[in-house]
Amino acid sequence: MTSRRGFIKGGGLALFGIGIGGIPGFLAEAVAGTQSPGLFKRKKIMVCIFQRGAMDGLMAVTPFTDEYLKAARPTLFMSAAKGSSEKPLIDLDGKFGLHPSMSAFEPMFRDKRMAIVHGIGSPNNTRSHFDAQDYMESGTPFKKGTDSGWLNRAVGLLGHEAATPFQGISLTTSLPRSFYGDNAAVAINNLQDFNLQMKGNPASVNMAAKSFEDLYDQTSSNLLKETGKESFDAIKMLQKTDIKNYKPSNNAVYPNTALGNSLKQIAQLIKMDVGLEVAFTESGGWDTHFNQGKETGIFARNVNDLSESMMAFWTDMETFQDDVTVMTMTEFGRTVRQNGNGGTDHGRASCNFILGAGVNGGRVHGTINPLSVENLEDGRDLAVTTDFRSVFSEVADKHLGIHNDKVLFPEWTSKTIGVMT
Amino acid sequence: MKASVKIVFASLSMLSSLVLTSSFPKDNEPYKLSFPYKHAGLTERQAAAHLLSRFTYGAKSGDVDALVKEGLEKWYQRQLDGDLSDKGLESMLEPYKDINLTNDEVQNKYPRQPKVLRMAIKDGVINKDSIGKGDQKVYRKQLQVYRESKGYGQEQDLLRQFINQKVLRATYTNNQLHELLTDFWFNHFNVSLTKNQCAAYVPAFERDVIRPNVTGKFSNLLMATAKSPAMLIYLDNYTSSGKPVATTDIDEMQMGMSGMKQRQVKAIKQRKQGGGLNENYAREVMELHTLGVDGGYTQSDVTQAARVLTGWTIAPLGEDGAYGAAFKKVIDRIGAANLVKNGFIKDGDFLFVPTRHDNEEKIILGKKFAPGGGYEEGVELLNMLAHNSATAKFISKKIATRFVNDQPDPKLVDKMAMTFLRTDGDIKQVLITMVSAPEFWSAKSLREKTKSPFELAISAVRGLDAQVTQPYQLYNWINKMGQKMYYYQAPTGFPDRGQYWINTGALLNRMNFGLALAAQRIPGVKIDLLALNNNHEPESSEAALNTYSKLIMPERDLSKTLERLKPLLNDPELTMKIAKAAEKAPVPQPKVNTMMAGEIGMMPEAIPDSSAKRKTATTQKTNNSMLAQVVGVIIGSPEFQRK
Repeated sequence: MTSRRGFIKGGGLALFGIGIGGIPGFLAEAVAGTQSPGLFKRKKIMVCIFQRGAMDGLMAVTPFTDEYLKAARPTLFMSAAKGSSEKPLIDLDGKFGLHPSMSAFEPMFRDKRMAIVHGIGSPNNTRSHFDAQDYMESGTPFKKGTDSGWLNRAVGLLGHEAATPFQGISLTTSLPRSFYGDNAAVAINNLQDFNLQMKGNPASVNMAAKSFEDLYDQTSSNLLKETGKESFDAIKMLQKTDIKNYKPSNNAVYPNTALGNSLKQIAQLIKMDVGLEVAFTESGGWDTHFNQGKETGIFARNVNDLSESMMAFWTDMETFQDDVTVMTMTEFGRTVRQNGNGGTDHGRASCNFILGAGVNGGRVHGTINPLSVENLEDGRDLAVTTDFRSVFSEVADKHLGIHNDKVLFPEWTSKTIGVMT
Repeated sequence: MKASVKIVFASLSMLSSLVLTSSFPKDNEPYKLSFPYKHAGLTERQAAAHLLSRFTYGAKSGDVDALVKEGLEKWYQRQLDGDLSDKGLESMLEPYKDINLTNDEVQNKYPRQPKVLRMAIKDGVINKDSIGKGDQKVYRKQLQVYRESKGYGQEQDLLRQFINQKVLRATYTNNQLHELLTDFWFNHFNVSLTKNQCAAYVPAFERDVIRPNVTGKFSNLLMATAKSPAMLIYLDNYTSSGKPVATTDIDEMQMGMSGMKQRQVKAIKQRKQGGGLNENYAREVMELHTLGVDGGYTQSDVTQAARVLTGWTIAPLGEDGAYGAAFKKVIDRIGAANLVKNGFIKDGDFLFVPTRHDNEEKIILGKKFAPGGGYEEGVELLNMLAHNSATAKFISKKIATRFVNDQPDPKLVDKMAMTFLRTDGDIKQVLITMVSAPEFWSAKSLREKTKSPFELAISAVRGLDAQVTQPYQLYNWINKMGQKMYYYQAPTGFPDRGQYWINTGALLNRMNFGLALAAQRIPGVKIDLLALNNNHEPESSEAALNTYSKLIMPERDLSKTLERLKPLLNDPELTMKIAKAAEKAPVPQPKVNTMMAGEIGMMPEAIPDSSAKRKTATTQKTNNSMLAQVVGVIIGSPEFQRK
């Protein structure tokens, strides 16, 4: 099989000889928005979004028939009944209602492309953001010293060598815990930075580039030599498209937010066919202790960003939709009862969203019992009924073909809940 | 497995006491060091360069000469002592006063955001119904004004000062080895600024816990870390309890959630009633700090060690007590003088609380800890771990990995481990054994380490004799290159191997760093390339390459690097293109076009519009730009990534 890198090399593409910025014609044809010429077997791609701060799953996807919840949240509870407020919850199945600011999710849910898991969380009952995120990202909820993250292990379990340096990418300023480990993973905050950055004239830029390429090509250190080659290949790959003036397909409009921009760049990478298989990004602001709001306010803004960003990504993916699965995650949920500041405090279970062609969608998976005090964890929180590892491993298994869940999640035995078809 | 290791160590250490005792004088005696570099075929200058590569953040120009003049052994001895005067550095650190605050003072001056918010609400400055609504800028401004009116600082500023001092110390301290060891031991006992709860205590952790102990006994280092607020919080031992928890002993009440209802507090209490044993620290102290993952302990050892360490927590800090708030009242009630009588131990910021301690019998690594051991059994446990033969080997290997190469010769590690066991874990002696061994000087060790991003950045500014006035700019670059200092989340610390640092994005940023630094595009980092060469302007780009690569990488075989670059530099067409482009470019305004002229000087402030002078300026600009580029390429070259 021709690997991406082999292809670049085989093509004898000496971009720096031509001059940085020059786009070879045959590659220019494979510009954004169209698929690559089909020279390579396209790989499946898993995109993870970490909602840092702990999303209130009970407000995102509300069990609106639950009288206990209604009583526990006098100023936060929303109803699905029409006319109950300007914007009622979106009734998904007679039991669960989607927050009205997440209306972007509705068509994907109805279309069975999106599944929701409610009552998902960690078996470790820590309410510390740091600890809970750490455990979820390392994938070992009772062990801090695990040196790798679960996404890094996922990359290692893909079963084939990385054809390109873009196999595992995080759209963040530094590498997240999820990607710590021995397999190559790169943190890129902005694709446009992925180049030699010089302000000089083209000739001297070219000379610096050529100098580096030659030096790294000849160095006695294999590590530096190989990575150097990869870096220059990577620059060349990215140069085949005009990253700055990217036009999403299908008139998709990404919100101008950190998450929107990250997903847009992931979409670009996917369309450029640079070998991306595992992508990570994050969104913040979910720690809503104060004035969480209802139809409007912090929470409404956050879920609106999340749903609009994901919908834009999905729309933009167009013909790539079969290859991509997006999964959200958050470290824990929030208290059933609202606090004295119109917000909610650190709790246990939350919910997550999985979007993709292979998803057993249109359903709210998992178990939520009536929210009476005796059913709550520690008498106050939505109980964790689904271990996050069962959902993560099922998505990784079904979508990426990663079967070795002993390595993916050590000290854990797989129990799938059927969130993928 | 374990037994056999012990036997090997026992026999080796007997052997070592026969062979080596004479060459290891007592602490107070002068060292009689002798480095076997000649056997490895190294000249004295090459050996000096190797020492500089391993025990400094990079050679400055002239360092090799100075070291040879002083004598290699003498230099190393003075670095081990680490008491050279650092006046220059101290004045540079002047602006960063808060790095000297105690944890108590930090607690008072830098209260965390939720606390400030609660106070602001209480004082009526902020209406709690307005939070999250309306203009966020106005809200943040209100909070800032309130904070300032109270004389509070923002934690970010404290951490910024802390990071700035790290960069400055590494760049300018004369006690380079102590600085490297501080970095090494910090990373070994990693705590992370990503965990907000412990972030404000990290500066004191480095200053009081790590720095004074870097060449001392390993057991002192271990004990100091175990009792530090940063570690107690980072690995959760401060919450660990072997007994039902007293009513007031709920950390959320003081620290965390605002406005919690009584009912919820009760629920949390119920949750904690069972006693809250937390094994995190106990596990990592064995796996990461002492024995190593293959050190022969079991899960049962971990649990029992956690029980031994129950009650090890944080004393009340600051006016409100912070994490020790629950014990503030207790201490006030029984009186500070009566603490010991009541079974408490207060040692600085550390507090042992007897009512939280599990007083039953425990067995760890086959050793029995009798009931009623109290605080002392924790000390005994840590000492036992610090002196274990697996620890000796694990620590020795880690030191050799950092200072020799990524896969240190097992023979070298054995020698160091023997010294470790023989000297009661004396780090200084272990370091002496390492450098006195032929393996340290072998070809397998020379230039076989890949610089971490931090090491790369600091070695570059040292090599170019840069004036760093905005250290944070360097920190940002180091982060971009893949090493967010102090923010490594896992207790493992940053991995210490080349593969970890060298990946596509990171490598590209290393090249970009070299270009940016040499072209003076990093604000607050000034260099004077001509001064580095005694103000001689190189006559050609080839001359620049020859001169500066030798200045920046002394005593290295650079023939290959030079060979590769020369044809490029000599390409007449290219040179012409650059000259032409430079001519077309507007006359440089130092402020805007710093990459061209910068501080290289000699450029008149305003250039008269006469064509002759204009031409001179253009030539100079071309040369300067060429020089900057050559130096940038050297910094970004594979050879400079190695040490």
